Amino acid sequence: MEEVRIGVYVCNCGTNIAKVVDCDAICASLSKMPNVAVARTYKYMCSTPGQEMIVEDIRKNNLNRVVVAACSPRMHERTFRKALQTAGINPYFFEMANIREQCSWVHENEETATAKAEALTRAAILRVAHHEPLENLYADMCPSTLVLGGGIAGLSAALELAESGHPVFLVEKTDRLGGNLARVDLTAPHLYSARDLLTDRIARVRANPYVQLMLESELKSLSGFVGNFTAIVGAAKKNGDPHKEHVLEVGSVVVCTGYKEFDAGRVTHFGYGKLPNVVTSFEFEKMLREGNIRTKEGRIPEYFAIVHCVGSRSRDFHGYCSRVCCMTALKYAHEIKSAIPNSYVSDLYIDMHAFGKGHEDFYRGSSEAKTLFLMYGKNEHPVIKRAQPGEESEMLIEVNEQLSGETIEIPADMVILMVGMEARSESGDVARLVNISQDKDGWYIESHPKLDPVATTTEGIFIAGTCAAPKDIPDTVAQARAAAARILGRIAKQKIEIDAVFAEVDEDLCSGCRVCNSLCPYSAVEFDEEKKRSRVNSALCKACGACVAACPSCAIKARHFTDRQIFAQIEGVLR
Amino acid sequence: MSPEKLQIALYWGAACGGCDVAVLDTNEFILDVAAAADIRLWPIAVDGKYKDVEKMQDGELDAAFYNGAVRNSENEHIARLLRQKSKILVAFGSCSHMGGIPGLANFTSKDKILDTAYLNNPSIEPGNKTVPVPETKIGDDETLDIPEFYDQVYKLDDVVDVDYYLPGCPPAPHQVKAVLLAVVKGELPPKGSVVGAADFAVCEDCKREKKEKKVTRFYRPWEIIQDPTQCLMDQGILCLGPATRSGCGVRCPDTGQGCRGCYGPLPGVVDHGAKSLSAVASIVDGKTPEEIRGILKGIPDFAAIAYRFGAPASLMKRNEKQ
Amino acid sequence: MSFEPKIVGFLCNWCSYAGADLAGTSRIQYPANVRVIRVMCSARIDPTFVLKALRDGADGVLICGCHPGDCHYTEGNYKALRRYELLKQTLCAFGIEEARVRLEWVSASEGQVFAEVVTDMTEKIRALGPSRFRVEQENASQPVHQEVTK
Repeated sequence: MEEVRIGVYVCNCGTNIAKVVDCDAICASLSKMPNVAVARTYKYMCSTPGQEMIVEDIRKNNLNRVVVAACSPRMHERTFRKALQTAGINPYFFEMANIREQCSWVHENEETATAKAEALTRAAILRVAHHEPLENLYADMCPSTLVLGGGIAGLSAALELAESGHPVFLVEKTDRLGGNLARVDLTAPHLYSARDLLTDRIARVRANPYVQLMLESELKSLSGFVGNFTAIVGAAKKNGDPHKEHVLEVGSVVVCTGYKEFDAGRVTHFGYGKLPNVVTSFEFEKMLREGNIRTKEGRIPEYFAIVHCVGSRSRDFHGYCSRVCCMTALKYAHEIKSAIPNSYVSDLYIDMHAFGKGHEDFYRGSSEAKTLFLMYGKNEHPVIKRAQPGEESEMLIEVNEQLSGETIEIPADMVILMVGMEARSESGDVARLVNISQDKDGWYIESHPKLDPVATTTEGIFIAGTCAAPKDIPDTVAQARAAAARILGRIAKQKIEIDAVFAEVDEDLCSGCRVCNSLCPYSAVEFDEEKKRSRVNSALCKACGACVAACPSCAIKARHFTDRQIFAQIEGVLR
Repeated sequence: MSPEKLQIALYWGAACGGCDVAVLDTNEFILDVAAAADIRLWPIAVDGKYKDVEKMQDGELDAAFYNGAVRNSENEHIARLLRQKSKILVAFGSCSHMGGIPGLANFTSKDKILDTAYLNNPSIEPGNKTVPVPETKIGDDETLDIPEFYDQVYKLDDVVDVDYYLPGCPPAPHQVKAVLLAVVKGELPPKGSVVGAADFAVCEDCKREKKEKKVTRFYRPWEIIQDPTQCLMDQGILCLGPATRSGCGVRCPDTGQGCRGCYGPLPGVVDHGAKSLSAVASIVDGKTPEEIRGILKGIPDFAAIAYRFGAPASLMKRNEKQ
Repeated sequence: MSFEPKIVGFLCNWCSYAGADLAGTSRIQYPANVRVIRVMCSARIDPTFVLKALRDGADGVLICGCHPGDCHYTEGNYKALRRYELLKQTLCAFGIEEARVRLEWVSASEGQVFAEVVTDMTEKIRALGPSRFRVEQENASQPVHQEVTK
């Protein structure tokens, strides 16, 4: 066997690592390990000169293994694998030690952090010696896409794909397209009509021969792998023929299932459900769309109050900001003033979040239009009560105004509660069907929050719009089209690369006991009745290793996560 | 003693005698062995004294077969002696291979064993306070020695270098015969090999039909009417066949008992019990800790089942807390 | 010198390892006693790994996976749980204190939870003292059981 020659690179990451970890000392100590041919530190290993250093060392010093101790492999493993490829050696002859996220960023004591970083790097060195060269596999890329959800996100993604000439199955649970946006009147800050935004898109979707529209339908199951999924779509639960199911072959899935509004009834102190003219933002949108702003009693209200952050930014309900409510509230102030010029609008907010393009101007415009802005404390809340008969308004709102420091009472005939967004109740079911994760609030988790915001941890499944987190229309549309762009890129290549990391059965060692057969979530482990052997379909395998750990004959090998590699790592961290 | 004949020795350490019987179970073949070889030591069958072995030249024996675990100082002494005097040392049977049944003592302690055997046992005279000790003074200048009972049980290669391992409790006679023949013919594999056994699991040789496995309840063999054509595990009867080397001739599963694992782990397995554990737990069909524990309750004393023949060979070796 | 526990952590790639990374990006401090080995799924964790880590001198082993129902591989964490339940019995038979081997669910968004688990486990093992294999190892001052990787 070829002599193992390892290059070890300890990254300073500017001062991110070097300020707590003594990188030079680690290098000096580890350079004495057997098989370590080169050991260096550098300011930023991921930079071009950093990568070039590795490439040059591989060529000059005949390195055949590389260890980089730096950030998380989830960050830069691919970067460095590419560098190995550039230098002409197999990219899997690489191992990363995570000495930033899991060391320098979480420990302050230099001595213990350095010892830990050294142990992690040592483990990587011992492990990499056992690495084997692996080649990626290729599979065909099915050019059809399944889009779940017919809101603005789903419409945008579907159009992007279909107008490029690729088939789209657009699945919508309800009997109409448009999603939550179809319930909105105008949009902030430009006051474009939501109806206009949607009708054009819906017409294009309906007219496009590449879109197969499936209303009142939902995904029942999804199997297969990126480029080669089989989806079963059937009638949505409550309506339609439950036996009518379509089997669809798709290459990718875009999940655009959106959000649901927070149930204002959960907040007791605003009197929602008891006071007839306390309404939610969506109920008010309906009045705006109908051009008929009236109290329950049929009067035209004079005093309006808008309350922000209902269900959002709250200890009791959702901790997060729903992002669109502030500007929507200002939009209401505009629309009220233009519909009922003599009305008075009070806007009760915690902080005014006007972060988007044109939002600050919109806020200023609202102030100039004589909206009364009142700030209330984050963990306090305005109290809404019925006014005494004979008062000029129907309700009174008591608020501890933060800027003046005074408790004041304002009149209101209609109170609009700006209800936040929350994950849909069935979002967990969808997550399980397409195998993606949710965060603590139920939002779908992206592959990387900054660098890969529309992909998920399951290859071929993308997320766009408010199913991933509250966001406004431009962000939603951008995400939907970004997901479509990612898919189009793959369709253009026609082939998709399948990770070389999967399990494989050594037929000579397998005894056909079938312990592993029921363990695979993807049914990748098959039993050959003729040979009485189990085998793994590598295209279906997603490398979890459940069968590997279970195999009592050690007949199943987890490529790149072999027993031997992990044993070496255990020895390394403990030595 | 004849110089052209093979010089061999057989010995029992901490053993039940079953291994020696397995040698005898080769029937008339044993006569061929006796014809081809000088048996210089075999306590159960032929004469031969320790002091005769001590007088041998180093390497004078061609092969020594040691069965039984190393449990006391006498076992260790003879193990070292045979190693020194023999060209080849074969660990014969599960006890010398992995610790065997005596190795179960590693789940308890020397003190507890002595207590049960000599002090607190319904079958001993009440009030007995006598426990064997290595040295007992008799009169002024005489001492009576018995071997020292060790704190734990060792497998043979914990004590001496071993050339070959012949597994089984006891090894199947046809395997004993094959190995003895290989020794006679000098057709042995590389040092360190397991001999007289297959490199695949018992399931390979087991004729029962295997299906996908999911166990919702474990049964002891007497608790259920078995289907003799179906895999025992599929019927909820614990069987270590998937984790155990074949070579025995599927002795236990063929009689309706789960494989007990006496042939030891498969090549590449570091810890037989851990692998058995992983396989068995993998097919338990429960999702909550309570549900899983409920199903696992059907297996009494899993550790002793998984390490029935190999506690001393396990990574954990013994329970030191006892 | 005071006793510093050595803990080997086996973390699944998708939830727990990401959670540990999040603890880093959030700069949540925790004791440096845990050394993490990444596996794709908690179901990859062969009980042998745990025993091997203990045998090689780990004072504790931490297994982390996705929360039940949230496994990237659908049900890998249940497989880890099943093995853990049986492993606990086995370790008990070998006299290994229960606190030394721990299974925890840590999601990708639970950096704080990861830090708390490590902190708590480190304290509990510190109170328990070194494992017998570590004591043996330090007395023998040589690596134990290297032969398994030959």
